[in-house]
Order: sequence, then C-alpha cells, then structure tokens
Amino acid sequence: MLDLLWNGLVNIAQWKYLLPLFAGTLIGVIGGSLPGVTITMTVIVVLPFTYGLDPLAGLAAMTGVYVGGSTGGLIACCLLGIPGSPSSIATTFDGFPMARNGEPGRAIWLGVWASVWGGLLGALFLVFLTGPLAAIALEFGPWEYFSLFVLAMAMVAGLSESSLLKGLISTAIGLLITVVGHDPIGSVPRFTFGSAFIGGGFPFLPVLIGIFAFAQIMTDLEKLNSPRGEALQSPAGVRLERFSHLKVNLEIFKQPFLLAWSTIVGLIIGILPAIGGSASSVMAYDQAKKFSKTPNRFGKGHPEGIIASEASNNANVSGSLMTIMAFGIPGDAVTAVMLGAMTIHGIQSGPLFISQNPDIAYGIYAAYILAHPCMLLICLALMPLMLRVTSVRMAVLAPVVLVLCVVGAYALNNTMQSVYVLLLFGVVGYMLVKLGFPLAPLILGLILGDQIEINLVRAIMTDANPWLFLTRPISCLLLLAAASSVGLAIWQHWRHQTRMAGEEPDF
Amino acid sequence: MSIGRDGITGLILLAVSLFLLVKSFQLPSLPIVPVGPGFYPAIVLSLMAAASALLVLQDLLKRRTPAGASDAPRRNYRLVVIAFAIVGAYVALLPFLGFRIATVLFVGALQAALDRPRTVRQWVVLATIALGTAVMSYFIFERYLLVLLPRGAWTGF
Repeated sequence: MLDLLWNGLVNIAQWKYLLPLFAGTLIGVIGGSLPGVTITMTVIVVLPFTYGLDPLAGLAAMTGVYVGGSTGGLIACCLLGIPGSPSSIATTFDGFPMARNGEPGRAIWLGVWASVWGGLLGALFLVFLTGPLAAIALEFGPWEYFSLFVLAMAMVAGLSESSLLKGLISTAIGLLITVVGHDPIGSVPRFTFGSAFIGGGFPFLPVLIGIFAFAQIMTDLEKLNSPRGEALQSPAGVRLERFSHLKVNLEIFKQPFLLAWSTIVGLIIGILPAIGGSASSVMAYDQAKKFSKTPNRFGKGHPEGIIASEASNNANVSGSLMTIMAFGIPGDAVTAVMLGAMTIHGIQSGPLFISQNPDIAYGIYAAYILAHPCMLLICLALMPLMLRVTSVRMAVLAPVVLVLCVVGAYALNNTMQSVYVLLLFGVVGYMLVKLGFPLAPLILGLILGDQIEINLVRAIMTDANPWLFLTRPISCLLLLAAASSVGLAIWQHWRHQTRMAGEEPDF
Repeated sequence: MSIGRDGITGLILLAVSLFLLVKSFQLPSLPIVPVGPGFYPAIVLSLMAAASALLVLQDLLKRRTPAGASDAPRRNYRLVVIAFAIVGAYVALLPFLGFRIATVLFVGALQAALDRPRTVRQWVVLATIALGTAVMSYFIFERYLLVLLPRGAWTGF
C-alpha cells in the first residue's frame, strides 16, 4: 500500500498533475474566501476546465479546489464575520472576535495551520481505511446496495433543516428526474411524451450545475438591495500583525486531543452522505466547547474554537473522499460533481474502484495530501491578495460564473440541449429554494436514482422474494438504520414543535 | 382553515405525481423481466404523492399568525427576474450570435443590470470585464482545452 502511495505521490509531483492541483487549490482558496461563493460553486466553475485534461489531472484539480475552499472560507470569517463558505461557519464564532481584538493574523493563521494538520491527519484515515471499507462493500449484493442507498437518502432527508416532508419530496423529485428517458433494463421510454428533447433523459451534470449554481447566485442577487450594497466592509485595508508561525503551531500542538478529536468528528461527518462541512465544523466546535477547561472563553476569540472548526472541516474532505471511493456514494455536493467528472472519463466509482484504477485512486490520495502544502504556500505568498479578493463585487462575479456554467454544460457533448437543461433546472432549483425545499436530498436522489433502480430490479430478478431485504442481516441493519433516521427526525421535529408551543410569547 | 404556500405546492406536486403514476401503469411490461419499467417509477411517485398529500394536510392544520412587520431583510426579486431574463436571452441567442459575441453582450448586460455604472471609468471597467471574460474563456477552452464553443448561425463567428 505504501509503495502505491509513494508511486501516487511521485506521479502527482509531475508538472502535468501538479499544475492543475496547484491551480485548483488556488481557485479553491479564492472561491472559499468569497462570501456567497460555496465550494460546490467553485468546483462547478472548475469542472469545464477538466474535460480536456487527463482524468487524474482533472480530479487533482477538483481535489485542490475542495481542500483550498475548505480553508479559504476562514479568511472572510475572521475579517468580515461572515463565513466565506458554509463549511467554515463555526470559525466565525471565535475568528472574528479574535480579529476584532487586534489579532487578525493570529486568527487566520491558527485556522490555516489547523486546516493543514487536520487535513493531513484525515489523509491517514483516507489512505488506510478506504481499502477496508471498500472490502466490506465488496460483500454487498444488490439487496445491501439498495438498502445502503435508501439509508443514505433517509439520512439526508431526515437532516433537512426545514421539514422532513420537504426533504422526502425533494428526494423523490431527484429520483424522478433519473426516471425520465429510457429505462435501464429494457430501454423502454418513460415520461418522454414523444419529445426528442427529453428522450435521452436529463444529463446529470447540467441538472446539478443548474440547480446548485442558479439557486446560489439568484439567492445572492436578491440581497443586492442598494446599487453597491453588497460591499459590506472591505478587508483590503486590513494589515495582519507580526506574529510567529512557530508559536501558532505550538499553540495547536499543545492540545493534541482537541486536534485529533476535531479531525475524527470531521472525518465521521464526511463519511456520512451529504451532511457536509458546515455540520462538521459546528459539531467539532460544540465538542471542543464541551471538553474544554475554559468553555466560557468560547465565542470571545478562543483559539480552541478556531482549531476545532478548521481541523474538522478539512478532515471532512477526506471523509467525503472515502465514501465516494469505497461505496460510490458522494459525501456531499462537491464529491457529487467529482463523481460526475469521473463518469465523463468512463471511470466507475465504487468498491472495485481502488483495485481497478489504483493509479487514479492513489493519485487522488496523493493529490489530497499535496493539496495541503500547496494551500499553505498559496496562503503564505498571496495573503495580501486574498484580503483584496474578499471584496470582489457580486455584479462582477455572477456573470462570469454563469458563463462558466454555460460552458460547463455545453462542453459535455457539444450540444445546446445540455444548456437548455441547465437553464430549465436553474429555474427549478431557484423555485425549490424559495419554496423551502432542501437541495441536498434532491442531488443525492439524482445521483443514486439509477443505481437504486438497477439494484432493486437486479435483486428481484435474482430472487423474487421481497423479504430478502429484511432477512439478509446487513440489508436489514441498513434498512433499520434508515427507519431509525426518519423516526429520529420525526421525534426531533415533534419535540421542537412541543417546545415552541410551550414557550410564552415574547413581547 | 386556509391554505398556505406549502399547501398549494403540495397540491401541485400531488397532481403531478398522480398524473405520472397513472402514466407509469400504462408503460408496457417486458417478458423476461419480472418487474416492468413502470415498477420503480410507481414506487417513487407513490412516495411523492403520499408526502405531498401530507404536506397539504400539515399546511391546513398549521396555526397561522396574522402577518405583521417582518424582520427579514428585503429581497430584490426584480433583480432576479431581470437576471433570469438576461440569462434566457443569452442561451437563446448563443446559437445565432456565437459564443464570443453573445458572451460579451451577456456579461456586459448582466453587470450593468446588477450594478449600473455611473462614470465613464466604470463603463470602461464593465466593457473590459465583458471582453476579457469572452476572450479568456475562448482561448482557454478552444485553444488549450480543445473544447469547441458554439459558432453563430447569423454571424459565422
């Protein structure tokens, strides 16, 4: 294994891979540091650039975006008090107060270094645990796969912030989109109504780009109330105080338990499908506060809060990569785009991915590891530029991002049809957001829809007995976990409603 | 008992899922496969119909409070409609004007709509960004990444 990893590192160190990795990390740091631009949107913007590249070079670029974006978000957190990307939300709680206390440099660099160490610790798990997880997944038959996918969707729908029902409807819409077109077994056209436009079904990536990018950009545009109202506060004039990197690192390593535990929290949340970096950052922050000897200092510029949040959201990336590589399930929307990019290059992710594509698998590990020193280098060299980047106006950003979305959709198969699909789902995505439907379950349904159907039909074709889904132990356990996840969500919702009803109105 | 936004959405989704559910039953079955092409869509649509019906019910049972002054920030929906219209025009004109011309016009128009320039300098910046985006993306995609971008049926460019 170590030989393969070494080969992967040597391979990625070549210019043809290192350059896309470095460029991806740079774009990730910039995208992450722009408030309102998520890592998903950044990876969508980078996607069309990867079509013409070697598969590993494209995936290296995307891994760079993922790592860079997870760190870049902390710059806006510390200087503006608003998260550059949702995954760094908990960094705001202590990063901003620390910066306001006159230590913006310490706040930013504590975050950057904690990201590096958290990410590299996460890499250990990624390298050594993905193989065993894939080995477990190899034991799965169609029953277990079907149940695993159902669990993934139940968890995501159950975790929806608005309502469980809306989460379930969103999942069903995602699954329904995959049903349009020819059925995967007998190629019978379904719900095409004789239209050539939807005869071949909806291509996955334009749907994904449309739903995510438009929903995000249009929601941002709503907030532009005054002509130049979006420039909240420019951090371009901020000067970072003099400080020692050694001191910052000592501060992190003085608390090895905090670093390790935050990494593990991020990793576990990353492995669970589609929960995302923001949950990992908040959970690690919460855990750090619970275990801290000085919990009352949290929220007032406590370094422990920054370390926990940043170590966790970078480790979260390794968890998401583990899920996509071992099970073929995207850990979040960013890995969903990566999964789409793999499909374009004819690479099938899943339990056989590592054994069938060791060069690419270990190349991704290596890219993930090397993205951290790249990110550190970028932050060291370009911090003054980063401070300026956070004040780029939405009026400039939105048209450029939308052009890249159109190119990304068009370049898939050089037809305008994909662009029309992009626009159609852009409108759908925005409407769903406005109606309070969460997008994460829809995306997961969209990605897993085909696989769920294939595994369900395969299971029935192998043995028509439907009880096998419950009598096979792993499948039964997974379905029980899915039911518990939905049950827990209903209970939490009910408890929340009861509490709200019991509270006296506050006049 | 009055119906709210969620209730109306639920009713629309219920109607769509029931319509498609009927369609899924009309799909032909295959002799070699024990379940037909409509089997899986029927499960998904049943789930969607049930959840939509529950959403309607939940909305009908919801206690409504009279609408008062909201603390939520004002939203600029006019800008969103304009932005969608400009993107729609861009997508519609792309095959006729070609990528380069359509992109310059799109980036310029959307920038102007979102943040109207007031000085000559701001107009120059706007034009530079519009031109720069079209030229940069054309060179990177066509020359470096070998992606053929749309040519205009009217312009041949």
